[in-house]
Amino acid sequence: MLQDKREFRWSVILIWIALFSFGLTAIYSATQGEVSQFLPAYILDNFYKQAVWIGISTMMLVAIQFIPPRTFQEGAYIFYLICIILMILTLFFGVEVSGSKSWLRIGPLNLQTGEITKIATILAAASYLTSRRDVTAENLKPALMTVLIFAIPIILLLLQNEAGVAIVYIGILPVVLFWSGLPYGISAFMVSPAVIGYFTVLDWKLGVIATIVMAIVIFLLQKRVWLTITSIAFGFLVIIGTEVALHQVLQPHQRARVESFANPTLDPLGAGWNVLQAKTAIGSGGLQGKGFMEGTQTQLRFLPEQWTDFIFCVVGEEFGFIGASILLILFALLFLLLLSMAATHKHPFAQIVIVSVTFLYFIHFLVNIGSATALFPIIGIPLPFISYGGSAFLTNTILLAICLNLDFNKRSLSIYR
Amino acid sequence: MGKRNHIENSKGSIKVLQIIVITGFVIMLARIFHLQIIDYETYSPLSMQNSLRMEVVSPARGLIYDRNGVIIVENQPIYTITITPSRFNMEKLPLLSSLLQMDESIVENRIKETQQYSWYRASRLFTEVSIEVFSNIQENLWQLPGVGHLIESKRNYPTSVRASHANGYLREATREEYQLSDRIRLGEKIGRSGLEMIYEDYLSGETGTEYIRVNAYGQSLGPYDNGSLNVTPVKGADLITTLDVELQALAEELMENKRGGLVAIDPYTGGILSIVSAPQFDPTRLAGRMDQSYWQGLNSDPYTPLYNRSISSRQPPGSTFKPFMALAGLYLGIITPEWELYNPGYYQRGRRYNDLADPGNYNLHKSLEYSSNTYFFWLMDRIASRGLLNEWSKLIKDFGMGPLNNIDLPSERAGIIPDSTYMNSTFGENRWGIGDLMSLGIGQGMVSVSPLQMAVATASLANGGNRVQPHMVRAIREPDGEIQYTNPAINKIEWITPENLKVVTDGMKSAFLQGGSNYYGRIPDIEIAGKTGTAQNPHGEDHGWFIAFAPADDPQIAIAVLMENSGFGSVSATPIASLLIEHYLTGSINRPHIYDHVMNFRPQTEDEVGNEE
Repeated sequence: MLQDKREFRWSVILIWIALFSFGLTAIYSATQGEVSQFLPAYILDNFYKQAVWIGISTMMLVAIQFIPPRTFQEGAYIFYLICIILMILTLFFGVEVSGSKSWLRIGPLNLQTGEITKIATILAAASYLTSRRDVTAENLKPALMTVLIFAIPIILLLLQNEAGVAIVYIGILPVVLFWSGLPYGISAFMVSPAVIGYFTVLDWKLGVIATIVMAIVIFLLQKRVWLTITSIAFGFLVIIGTEVALHQVLQPHQRARVESFANPTLDPLGAGWNVLQAKTAIGSGGLQGKGFMEGTQTQLRFLPEQWTDFIFCVVGEEFGFIGASILLILFALLFLLLLSMAATHKHPFAQIVIVSVTFLYFIHFLVNIGSATALFPIIGIPLPFISYGGSAFLTNTILLAICLNLDFNKRSLSIYR
Repeated sequence: MGKRNHIENSKGSIKVLQIIVITGFVIMLARIFHLQIIDYETYSPLSMQNSLRMEVVSPARGLIYDRNGVIIVENQPIYTITITPSRFNMEKLPLLSSLLQMDESIVENRIKETQQYSWYRASRLFTEVSIEVFSNIQENLWQLPGVGHLIESKRNYPTSVRASHANGYLREATREEYQLSDRIRLGEKIGRSGLEMIYEDYLSGETGTEYIRVNAYGQSLGPYDNGSLNVTPVKGADLITTLDVELQALAEELMENKRGGLVAIDPYTGGILSIVSAPQFDPTRLAGRMDQSYWQGLNSDPYTPLYNRSISSRQPPGSTFKPFMALAGLYLGIITPEWELYNPGYYQRGRRYNDLADPGNYNLHKSLEYSSNTYFFWLMDRIASRGLLNEWSKLIKDFGMGPLNNIDLPSERAGIIPDSTYMNSTFGENRWGIGDLMSLGIGQGMVSVSPLQMAVATASLANGGNRVQPHMVRAIREPDGEIQYTNPAINKIEWITPENLKVVTDGMKSAFLQGGSNYYGRIPDIEIAGKTGTAQNPHGEDHGWFIAFAPADDPQIAIAVLMENSGFGSVSATPIASLLIEHYLTGSINRPHIYDHVMNFRPQTEDEVGNEE
């Protein structure tokens, strides 16, 4: 605590405040406006609950600044272990909410254990990778261990029926490994199934093109024939797997749900309804938006889950392109600030943590807004600091607080390297 | 690139990650720019359509009044449930059916029918549901997306008068009509016969529109923008007819269980006082939700109740034709009032034409009084042999017989008053002779007219030789109170002189006091000029005719009655006309035995007609 307070990243705090203010405004409009008459009573409390969670999170953020930075690294495994046990307990004793068993009641608290485990997983992976030599093409063992650290919560999340959250974990993994030295080519190889799968859902021919492009990129990056061949083989497996899943495994209505983002008019009243209404909300906001509490799509209940997964539609409709792009810029600034924190840090643990946190936010950002704007199939995950959701807000704030702590204490931490 | 030094690793990697983050940001920014700026014109109307519902507000249909301001046809509210098939979730079928208190299969079938009309537009699911069902549905609309409700109206007939053929009825517009007209909406009812059809454009008014804010469940949340975009419906115009409710009610009562047509007319204006075609139908059963079995019954009934006999039936006028023959003969100079003809009991021309009148000398008055056929055979013989057939035909047509009178009712049929063109086309060029024309003189053979035509012709005897335009509607009252009068033309028939008319009228007065007419028709203190007739019917009992106007010296009403398969006009048609005249002139009926006679009178049935053939 010897550092000058001016070295603290106040800019990050300002962005954080701006983001949750944006969120509170949107939640207020989405639950307290004219729409309130069509909402069940428990939803009406969401605004106040969120305000309380922001208060709790603020205290946590301040408190975390007083924790010695080494603690995060040293306590990572134990914390990870506790979280995994909590997740297993959730599986057996959890509360089921709309099809997924992800809530654990501990005394007065309702905790989404999958959220807290994000912190533990990031810290554990960072801690593990810091203690190893760099990952190389010759030595992939640390990489496999890291995969294992991620795989346990992912499996548990899938068992909890929380596929959306699992996707976030899967998304962070290549970034963490890449940062730890995993060669570009292999990193690209790890990302390629997601890319190929996405294009295959759009059209299998695009999937083939994506496979070929990815193979070329991997070859240019790595110049290893076996890797390139494997990537092509994997690519085709993904295409076939996706096609089989879409046409054979999934029921037509499930398939429609996956494909409707690309073509909502196929089934405008079924699977396409949410996509269409979300696009309509954002599109009809125009440049300036319809005004606070004036969005017809929002206020007349045309949007599903508009206080969480579809909150971006509320922003888009009521504050228009101006409001929505300010929100995007705030996120971009947050990401770039965090990355610059990672870049200027000399300790690999801090670097890996900050990079992981950045990409955790980034994946939420991409998937949430991508879902709302019909770039991706609808995957129900919240927009960090904006969507209603206490556990998520707390988790995201704790992660931010840890990054700030590590950044602020970068000199004291670097000695240990 | 295989192995990366840690420090450089950080620098290189951070660039890659920065690029990924910036790329993600740019893609999202581009996406919202695309949706909000480029495609704004697409999504803005979509959100408007989502939250706005345009509802068509049907105007009140115009009312139909009688000549004294009594309402004959009015509107009564009915409750309708609508459905927009595309927005309706079939899983809600059990709920909807239970609220409608109907079988699921019935509701499902009806929904399928509406789907065939339009998937995306609201159609009527059920009309005329009870107020209880209506309010149940109204309360549960929020859980029945796609279901709507409407308050509409149906025609109601507050008096005992149905005037079914005159008023007509409404039916749903067909697909073709809907496609041809930009005014008619699908499922909307339009006039299908009678005044409802002829005056459809006046009665229907102008539909209004209302913009209502709705939420995703289709619940309405009040007017949009304080109703500034709404268009108020314009009520339909009212028709003020020439009918007399009391006379019409009595006429309908007297014509019950009969077959035939009746037209009573104001001789000075041509306004129809009463018009009945029997059998009638009950328009109340065709109003609102149509009684399908009743409708099918009407269409398959051998007595064709939908057929308007009063203006569409064509029958030989029989002896009721004689007064008009007399006027033509006088004008053509073939006969004079004084000139006498000896009647041996028949007229000989190639063959014998029988006469029921007693033998003796007959002048015109006596010929009319006793309805001597001989006199009129002789007259027709002279007309034909002097080559005056076409001239004669023209004179008769001046009375309103033959060509259409263009009354403001649909399906009027022209009669036949033969001329040489007609004879040529029927028999072939020059393949007809005097023998084919003889029976025209006594109103038999090819000559045929409708009750309306006989009423118009009788009116011209009553009003001093003027041709009136028969009409149902005297005035149209616009919703703003402005009244347009129809003012139908009245034309003097130049060739009729008062002297000749008096001879004929006197003959009719005397004729009325003869035989059956006297018994069934005479009214104390009211002088009637009338003439009975019998149309020979080769297929069964003859059709009875009666024409009259009264009081003979100051006519207020002219009337023509045709009774199918009812034998002598004096027994079947005369008492009906007489009772109507009595009621019209005195306001009551003082001859209960005549009333009972009429009420108990039955025409020959279809079976009997069949047996006789």
